[in-house]
Amino acid sequence: MSQKKTNPKMTNPKKKIRVLVAKPGLDGHERGAHVVAYGLRDAGFEVIYTGLRQTTKQIINTAIQEDVDVVGLSILSGAHLSLSQKVIEGLKSQGAEDIMVIVGGIVPEEDIPLLKDMGVCEVFTAGTPVSAISDFISASISSN
Amino acid sequence: MEKVETAETQWKQNILDKRVKRFNLSKSPTRFYSPLANKNSDFLENVGFPGQYPFTAGSNPFDFWRAYAEDAAKMGYRPDWGGASGVGKYGGFGTAEDYRDYLIRMHAMGRTGGPNMAFDLVTQCGYDSDSDYAEGEVGRVGVAIDSFNDFATIYEPYVGNLEIDKVPSNFTINAPAGIIIAMYAVLADKRGIPLDKLRGTPQNDILKEFIARGTYIYPPKQSLRLFRDICVFCTRHMPKLNINSIGGYHIREAGATREQDLAFSMVNAAAYIQTGIAGGLDVDSFAPKQTFNAFGGSMEIYQEIALQRAARRIYARMLKDRFQAKNPRSMMIRQPITAHIGCSSTTLQRPLNNLTRAVVGGMAAGMSGGMPGVFPPYDEPLGLGHSQEAVQLQLDATRILIYEAKVADVNDPWAGSYFMESLTDDIEARAMAEMEKIKNMGGAVAAIESGYMQKAVSKSAYEKQKQIERQEEFVVGVNCFKNDNEISVNVNREVEASYDPELIKSAEERQKKKLKKLKRQRNSKAVSSSLSALKNHAKDESANLMIDMCECVRNDVTLQEMCDVLREVFGEFQQSKL
Repeated sequence: MSQKKTNPKMTNPKKKIRVLVAKPGLDGHERGAHVVAYGLRDAGFEVIYTGLRQTTKQIINTAIQEDVDVVGLSILSGAHLSLSQKVIEGLKSQGAEDIMVIVGGIVPEEDIPLLKDMGVCEVFTAGTPVSAISDFISASISSN
Repeated sequence: MEKVETAETQWKQNILDKRVKRFNLSKSPTRFYSPLANKNSDFLENVGFPGQYPFTAGSNPFDFWRAYAEDAAKMGYRPDWGGASGVGKYGGFGTAEDYRDYLIRMHAMGRTGGPNMAFDLVTQCGYDSDSDYAEGEVGRVGVAIDSFNDFATIYEPYVGNLEIDKVPSNFTINAPAGIIIAMYAVLADKRGIPLDKLRGTPQNDILKEFIARGTYIYPPKQSLRLFRDICVFCTRHMPKLNINSIGGYHIREAGATREQDLAFSMVNAAAYIQTGIAGGLDVDSFAPKQTFNAFGGSMEIYQEIALQRAARRIYARMLKDRFQAKNPRSMMIRQPITAHIGCSSTTLQRPLNNLTRAVVGGMAAGMSGGMPGVFPPYDEPLGLGHSQEAVQLQLDATRILIYEAKVADVNDPWAGSYFMESLTDDIEARAMAEMEKIKNMGGAVAAIESGYMQKAVSKSAYEKQKQIERQEEFVVGVNCFKNDNEISVNVNREVEASYDPELIKSAEERQKKKLKKLKRQRNSKAVSSSLSALKNHAKDESANLMIDMCECVRNDVTLQEMCDVLREVFGEFQQSKL
């Protein structure tokens, strides 16, 4: 395992995992983002929802300022490849590559490996139970 | 009735309860409705004949398409979905030039309906293609419109037999609807066509954008002021144009329950009517031009049929009793699509099952006063556009329901059913209770400002998700019947290459270039004077901004420049926290 910054949440197991649920771009379909935000909150995470019309820059800034462990991007506009790339690169350039990025929304199957190659940890498409997302986050963060 | 009551009690004791006990259940898994379910139902008062108040049995004695159904079959007529009112297939991408060329290709194939425009999100949110917000979005989910030039380009092929006084147009846009209508008016004026000849439908349903879909700009009150200006302008100058198309299904797709969908759409509709009246219009002068766009959106076939019936009755009574309408056309719900399953009922898992699902929606539509339209195509959730195969299956399924199953040969076939009448009453009562609640909050605007409707919708969406995860609701292939014995059935999918991906990719650059050129060439004095007139009049609540918008359009003011001026005066809406 490569050297990583010590995650304060890991040294203090009582501290909740912080998740930023973000809607990049102008798309206003919020159902998925809302449901995931509620579900993760009920699962014991601390959830911040950005609201609509966020530029990738705003999302990166919020993620860093709010010191989150996970950024969940909700994308239904078809622009998942370029938007995810920008967020991942932006986090990296700010030295925040330890923040895990996951993607949810309408993503064609053939794009999933492309997203994973660029550093997206997991892609959750329609029909995924929220419990699968919360399980994934818990498992990934604690194994880190 | 007493006899029935006695018989029902005996049936429960002697027949039903025994069976319940035999299967070791706490209650019966099914229900039965006898005449006791709606003892006091008055046919004429609560149902009536199709095309007559209160329109429970249908808005029309028969739909216009039904008159030509047999001829259409003999001719092999292939309709465009949503093209029922004379407009073509909903579409749009890239720059105005790209979309124009697409329309020319459609015309060559005999698809000569009027433009049914999808706008990109940049345009829908009131930005130009050179805005920071536009990056990556130009021409993506619809056509980009920055100025009148773009709008006029789209209409280049609409001349002669397809002149704009002969074919209608659809504009699926809300916050900047006034600007697009102004462009349509200026186009007509430049072509020498009287405004009162123009037909078409702007979506212009801004209130639902706050509750679902999210392409709002200004706060709700100021948005309604713009609605008033459009409503008054259209009623006076463009009386053939529909004023709006109120979306029930958007709210439903965002997660609302059936009753919330119905109630929220109705309070929105009431707010529009109220706004028109407050703008000095007689209700019967504009209410017939208020339209709806498909209530509904679930697989529950009985409930979806009852919803259509309840919606028609609630609206009719609201217009008659509350708004004192006299013309029956003011009281009638006009909508191109009735019941349907809603795209959120489709599943990514074993997607061909979506065809079966959509057929159920088509049945519900056919049995509740609409064309038994099978929608959406089965590959809707796959996210690459509808394939030709999926569209063929969808079209054929609709035809099979019409011609072979003869689903639409009887109007309101459920009228008088103890069950359906009681279900209609239930849905109506629950929706009306919700409407009353919102009325007491101060109406649609207050319920949006406080975030009430938005929160109610997302809570319902979450509730539904929890029900699925707990297996209180079953979705085949999603939360049940998904073990290794099940097989996934695939068919070939050839996605119609109507939109060239290279064109979409280069749209932003090309659009920016045009915009730069326009800004260099236009009369900047005229731009600033028309913008300052718009600004001054925006501050004056009594002014009608449509006149100023027309002037701006004429002077090549861009869409964002107009929206920015209004943003300065009206402010921008901020959604309350989740």
